[in-house]
Amino acid sequence: MLRKLLFNTQIVLRQQKKLQCTRNLAAKAAAPKILEPVHIEEAIKLEPTLSIYTPELWRRAHETFQNHGLETVNFLRIVTANPTVLRRTPERIISSLEIWRACQFGETLLHLLLTKYPELLDVSDSHELLSHVGFLKSRVSTNKNVWKLLMNSPDLLAQSEKSIEEKVDYIMDVMRIEVPELVKSSGLSMSLEELRCRHEFLVRLGLFKPRAPKADPDEPTTNHKLYQITDTSEKTFATKICHVTLPEFEAFKDLHAREIERKTRKRKEEEDFSDDEE
Amino acid sequence: MLNVRSVFWLQRRWKSGGKKRWNVLQNKKNNCDRAIDSFDDFYGSVYGTRWKNMRAALLTRHKYIAMVNNFGNTEQTCSMLETDGAINMKSLINLAQERLRGTDPATEGQGQNRYEIDDKLDALLRKQQEREVASIYPSAGEDGASVQMPQQLKYDNVEAKEKTQSESKDFKQSLTKALENDVKLDEHRLVDPQFGTGGLYEYMPAHSIKGMEDWVAESEHYKYYQTSADFPLRIEPETLFHYPEHLALYTYEMGNCSDFKAPKKCLTGVSSHFMMDGASTLPPLFLQVQPGEKVLDACASPGGKSLLLLQTLHLDKLVCNDIQESRVNRVRRLMQEFLFDYKQRLAAKHLIFSQSDARNLDEYQQYDKILVDVPCTTDRHVVMEQDNNIFKPSRIKERLRIPELQSDILANCLRLLRPGGSLVYSTCSLSPIQNDGVVHMALQKVFIEHGITATIKDLSRQAELFSDVFKFEHPKGLKYGQMVIPYLPANFGPMYFSKITRNV
Repeated sequence: MLRKLLFNTQIVLRQQKKLQCTRNLAAKAAAPKILEPVHIEEAIKLEPTLSIYTPELWRRAHETFQNHGLETVNFLRIVTANPTVLRRTPERIISSLEIWRACQFGETLLHLLLTKYPELLDVSDSHELLSHVGFLKSRVSTNKNVWKLLMNSPDLLAQSEKSIEEKVDYIMDVMRIEVPELVKSSGLSMSLEELRCRHEFLVRLGLFKPRAPKADPDEPTTNHKLYQITDTSEKTFATKICHVTLPEFEAFKDLHAREIERKTRKRKEEEDFSDDEE
Repeated sequence: MLNVRSVFWLQRRWKSGGKKRWNVLQNKKNNCDRAIDSFDDFYGSVYGTRWKNMRAALLTRHKYIAMVNNFGNTEQTCSMLETDGAINMKSLINLAQERLRGTDPATEGQGQNRYEIDDKLDALLRKQQEREVASIYPSAGEDGASVQMPQQLKYDNVEAKEKTQSESKDFKQSLTKALENDVKLDEHRLVDPQFGTGGLYEYMPAHSIKGMEDWVAESEHYKYYQTSADFPLRIEPETLFHYPEHLALYTYEMGNCSDFKAPKKCLTGVSSHFMMDGASTLPPLFLQVQPGEKVLDACASPGGKSLLLLQTLHLDKLVCNDIQESRVNRVRRLMQEFLFDYKQRLAAKHLIFSQSDARNLDEYQQYDKILVDVPCTTDRHVVMEQDNNIFKPSRIKERLRIPELQSDILANCLRLLRPGGSLVYSTCSLSPIQNDGVVHMALQKVFIEHGITATIKDLSRQAELFSDVFKFEHPKGLKYGQMVIPYLPANFGPMYFSKITRNV
């Protein structure tokens, strides 16, 4: 965040210095439409690997992105975070943009997503992406919610459907948390074990009471919000959310892992036993 | 190969998947839920914010201590446990002793928070009574009559008074409202058909309800905690503590939750070590059995504490008593498993099993030391296990009257002590009623009925030696004893213990 902010201000400052050298003064000061050497210099300072590309490549890539509605600032953010984009042919860039466009998040939201996580442009298998997004949509009901999910946890694309399914089931059925709260957190980036451990800890402390299945959804709960549970470091979670000391939480994690292991072992043994019977 | 006997026909039913009904999802309240709800209410107001830490620890598996069997391959077992990283408790005690030698004995005493807990329990009793009155007479709460409720009256009186109040107010309200209220009252006075309608015509005193004569109010339980002392009582610090030379207890340091290896068979045919909740080792240790003494374990089952007494190798004679045959048998089996000279001991009357109610033992003034590990709500057990759970609705009377049973046992055990002998009273409950309350009640009872006076030994100095391993209640709100509280990195307990010496 800080880096982006710094980058922005630097660009603006440089532009103001070089105002007299440019032709369309006013237009550029407001929103730069044209890639200038100074932009490239700044980008290289931030990401030295960019220095190997020729100005021609820069111009070509910039043009491609601009044609698809991405502004120079966004373009610069994308290339500094994902330098290999510059090397790609315009066709390839366009095709990956098209793949994303097919997800129907809307242009503005899509640009926000791609600027935030430029690595998403590496996606090349449109079929896989669409089916994955379709699967997410089936769980969170709207495209916008899928977009919110991806904004919070882009690693969802790399997770298997089975593991996502398990986590969503756990959050919705066991924790009884609704979709609007789910998409506001990066809970799905967490492993199921960790999620279950944090939830179980809160339950045992008596701080988390699952809502009754027929409870009025507008009725406020005293439970912590999902993002408070999942988007915190271990120390913050233990001290600020649970109000216990870190050693206590660490001991619990250890004990809980052993408990789960014991349970799965027991279940396996029972299954083996029943198989023998048959 | 495929003979008829090995073929089984198993019927199996596969439930169709899909959504379940919401009332299936909302699971029914079981005994453990009932127990934890009751604890949330009770301990939440006694321990305040610390209760949630204890709650999490209670609901998580407890930590064990391994006691090495001195009748097996002792050295081999010790080295096996040491290679796994376990620490001998003896070395920890020695370290703590050296560390504490320099410092002065703590002068803060026990009294600082003493009255805090009294106030809390008093408030709790009042709250519970109000709630019960409100559940019987719903209109009373709406009228605001419960606000005027007297604070320290007996439950029956409160009930009677409430009734007159609510009745006297009825005529002031409009007719319809009065009718509604009557309907409400009627609902709660429904007569169980098994008593027959004929019973309705019997005379009933104004303060009891037909069909609920033997109903026990939850608030009765809290009344066992009394604060007025009308018997002579001395509390003096315990001066001596010797860790038994031959006892080998192994534990992992605080924060380490590893498990011990399973016991093995030794050359002498006995098991190598015994695993028990760490806090259970403290009461027998603080009993300080000396060579040649006659000891009683009043409620011995499952036998871990008795076994520890035997492992000190100090005992001359140990009597293990318990109320049920099955429980005595359990101790018997344990002894057989761990003592290779079990039969000789039995024959020479060094080890005696007895099956009787500890309240009815009558070998007065016979024992040097007694371990009184009374039946209690077993806080860790009731929140984890469904079986044998005292929070089962049908056992409510038994549960609410536990303090009475405990104090009877303790009072009788005080009579069994020879003058100058001492006993350790212990429970595995966090409830101040079952702990300090019972000690108080029993001391009062033996003084009034039998003129026996006793001295409480303050063990806080000795408990400090164990502070590396256990988490003790601190700051201390306890009057007569010490308590190990459940704490996740050292998940032992809960265990309350109080040492009482009978005056000569």
